[in-house]
Amino acid sequence: MNSVGEGCTELKREYDQCFNRWFADKFLKGDRSGDPCTEMFKKYQTCVQKAIKDKDIPIDGVEFMGPNKEK
Amino acid sequence: MKIWSSEHVFSYPWETVIKAAMRKYPNPMNPSVVGVDVLDRNLDTHGRLHSHRLLSTEWGLPAIVRAILGTSRTLTYVKEHSIVDPDEKKMELCSTNITLTNLVSVDERLVYTPHPENPGITVLTQEAIITVKGVSLSSYLEGLMALKISANARKGWDAIEWIIQNSERESVPFCSLC
Repeated sequence: MNSVGEGCTELKREYDQCFNRWFADKFLKGDRSGDPCTEMFKKYQTCVQKAIKDKDIPIDGVEFMGPNKEK
Repeated sequence: MKIWSSEHVFSYPWETVIKAAMRKYPNPMNPSVVGVDVLDRNLDTHGRLHSHRLLSTEWGLPAIVRAILGTSRTLTYVKEHSIVDPDEKKMELCSTNITLTNLVSVDERLVYTPHPENPGITVLTQEAIITVKGVSLSSYLEGLMALKISANARKGWDAIEWIIQNSERESVPFCSLC
């Protein structure tokens, strides 16, 4: 799957792969330690946050019907 | 405002469905989702996993709808917040569009839980609230969008099944009798 930032797709793939493995093999099996993908996530975020800014995507400031809110 | 809701049962255990739901894109059934990014992810004090994602989607609205709304822009960004609770066996996902909001808002909520009487299968309940703003014929448009969501939901279920079958195939020995 592509990232919104064309140049971030490879970083995203690496992170996704790491996360999916942790999610299936550890998290869903009851291991409560955090995922080991923090460094990859940071690199990916640096890239994607810049792309979001460049493209003016309004990720903040939208009233969000979050799962925690009363319906 | 139009409210749409539906329920679907997957013949797989909750864990299998959730794994597929987390990596649902890309899949051949939802070509309209052209990008997915994780913006934030963390475990809360109850051990639940929160993910905030940004989806880039091509809504592919019919020409008549684009004409009424007065926009040719159909690339829309959607923000999504999901919570996976592995103890309760519940995944909840809410999403809302963050662009084209002056024209339309589509809020969706999906919940995946094991079937109360059969833990080997999984129930997905899904609802959407569609509001088209500031144009005449808005209830007509809301009806059209509800139809679109309904069709997309069906594709989404197929997509989950597709992911499960494709990933399960990888992990199952080629010959189970060997």
